[in-house]
Amino acid sequence: MGRRIGVICALLVLIFTAFAWRLIHLQILKHEYYQEIAAVKHESRQVISPRRGRILDRNGEELAVNIPVQMVYADGSHIHDPAALARIAAPFLEVPVEELTEKLTTKNKYVVIRKGVSEEKAQDMIRAIDKANLHGLYLQEGSVRSYPNGEMLCDVLGYVDHTGHGADGIEKTCDEELKGQEGFRMIEHDRKGREIVVYRGQEQPPENGCDIRLSIDMGLQAIAEREVDEAYKTNHPASATAILADPNTGEILALACRPNYDPNKYNEAKSDHMRNRAISDMYEPGSVFKIIVTSAAYNEGIVDDKTRIFCENGHFSYGGKIIKDHHGSGDLSIHEILMKSSNVGAAKISLRMKDQMFYDYVRKYGFGTRTGIPLPGEIAGLVNPPHRWDMLTKTRMAFGQSISVTPIQMVMAMSAIANGGKLLKPKLVLSKGEGSAELHEAPIAQVVKPESANYIANALEKVVSNQGTAPLARIEGYRVAGKTGTAQKISPHRGYLMGRYIVSFAGFFPVNKPRIMGIVIVDDAKLSETANYGGSVAGPVFSKIGVKIARYLDMDPEPSESLSKQGSSTATVSAR
Amino acid sequence: MSVNRRRTTNTIEVNFLAGWLVIVFLVGLAGLFFVYLKNQQHAVGNQCRLVESSLREEEARDEALKAKISSMTSRGALQHRLDDGYIALQAIRDTAIARVTPPAPAEVDGVLRTASSDPESRFGPGVPQRAINR
Repeated sequence: MGRRIGVICALLVLIFTAFAWRLIHLQILKHEYYQEIAAVKHESRQVISPRRGRILDRNGEELAVNIPVQMVYADGSHIHDPAALARIAAPFLEVPVEELTEKLTTKNKYVVIRKGVSEEKAQDMIRAIDKANLHGLYLQEGSVRSYPNGEMLCDVLGYVDHTGHGADGIEKTCDEELKGQEGFRMIEHDRKGREIVVYRGQEQPPENGCDIRLSIDMGLQAIAEREVDEAYKTNHPASATAILADPNTGEILALACRPNYDPNKYNEAKSDHMRNRAISDMYEPGSVFKIIVTSAAYNEGIVDDKTRIFCENGHFSYGGKIIKDHHGSGDLSIHEILMKSSNVGAAKISLRMKDQMFYDYVRKYGFGTRTGIPLPGEIAGLVNPPHRWDMLTKTRMAFGQSISVTPIQMVMAMSAIANGGKLLKPKLVLSKGEGSAELHEAPIAQVVKPESANYIANALEKVVSNQGTAPLARIEGYRVAGKTGTAQKISPHRGYLMGRYIVSFAGFFPVNKPRIMGIVIVDDAKLSETANYGGSVAGPVFSKIGVKIARYLDMDPEPSESLSKQGSSTATVSAR
Repeated sequence: MSVNRRRTTNTIEVNFLAGWLVIVFLVGLAGLFFVYLKNQQHAVGNQCRLVESSLREEEARDEALKAKISSMTSRGALQHRLDDGYIALQAIRDTAIARVTPPAPAEVDGVLRTASSDPESRFGPGVPQRAINR
């Protein structure tokens, strides 16, 4: 009896010793190994997405916002009945049951099932799955970008691609500030995949992206969009562009291009429509460029207000080629050269300047370099240095040929005439983040003396007079200064395309205290050659925009005596 | 002579036993309390998770509604509605506008402009504010 008891006791001791050893083995010797396995099974790093910053106009109007959505993903290790799960989830996800069943039949721990599911649908789906006591489908927060104004201002705003990164426009250049910093939380979850809050580990909250406030005024933008749209529909050009800016600060107030696209449906847009023509298209500016040669020559004292230049009655033979004017003239003053847009006069002024000096002024006005507008894809234009010029280049450049510029460069150059000779960097972003100070930029350079700029501005005022090339660009009640441009389109096979023009009007108002600088460019309008001028196509668009802006900004009309030199609006276009 | 070597009674050391019983009871109680606390923690954690999730849901719904409002009242949307005739612009007669500064119609076009309460922007610095009601 005593022996039996002894054997049983010994067996029990052995069994319990084995258990104890196993416990020691599991809990102490293999502690780290099993802890790792458990961690892989239950612990995870939950990413907390930051909110992407909004884009606002200068008055706080929302231009880009976020719509919260959920991404549905599956954890194959939690799915026991893929078919049942698919039957419940499919209607919410709008996916065929068979397709979903196939996706759910997996052992992978992270399979993306559907992105961009609305918050309501996603929550309803989870509730239905819980009710059926099934597991394996989970939600991950996200958001999609929405542009409430649709196509309006698309070239400035750009869009956010499917990865959540800015792919164009301000969305791209300010992506770092907009996207914020993602946070995380170390969590443990139970076998149903629910978080065990008690075991919540290290946590870092996300930093939301800053709101970006643009210098754009949506009131002005709407005006520009409407008029550009009308010009595009009426004249059927290849493209139409309008830019409005504050000539005193360089702030871009509106930028509208046609054709355009809807950034909410960027994947349906044609790539050609997604190009921001204001910064990435270069064109020969035509007569608008005469402001450069005249202001440079006046600034250097090469010409003055008494200078008169013989314009060869509109036919000037130079370097074996003929330079023509639309209307032949004899002696003209500098003001008259600009008013009548004499190519011969501009060419003759350029011949009085040294090549290097002319080139330096062209560069000082910002041509041949990027303006630095915070938008992707800006090009520098094309300005050849003097050693690559032939005999004719300088005379051609004087009236805007043999040089290519971007619309934004032209706006900034004309702004320098409006603001007393200062070249400014275009400003598109007013502030980054709530309460942050406004970003200020110093002028890039004093291109010409204020007297020279004022002299040219006064000459440009006459361009919209009855004797000038753009009486239709006049804005009743306000003094307007501007310059027309009518440039033949360059052929891809050298030379120019006959009868096809890029017409433009760049101007500012009120002349005595400029508040608005604007440019309108219409590329290849489907009009007869006799009707396709800067003064008759782009000028009226500028005028319509100006009238509406004056109302919108409640600008005081100017006294009638100061308007008398511009005459009435009934005149017809007389020159290019 | 035979001697009964057995003791007639076995004494129970109540004090000793009671001491152990109390210790065991306390340890058991502590264990139960620990389990209770742990369960409570889990229950509160669960509630916390549910509250967090419903808060997140509400925030998301709020943001979605804000985005919807923003897209429905955006300039572009209103312009489309105006073009389609769903809404119309009603002209406000001049007599219905209370002006705090005199109206300044354009010389030629006679367009009546909106009232401005900032005389300096209208007349330049140093001009006294004039209040005229029409």
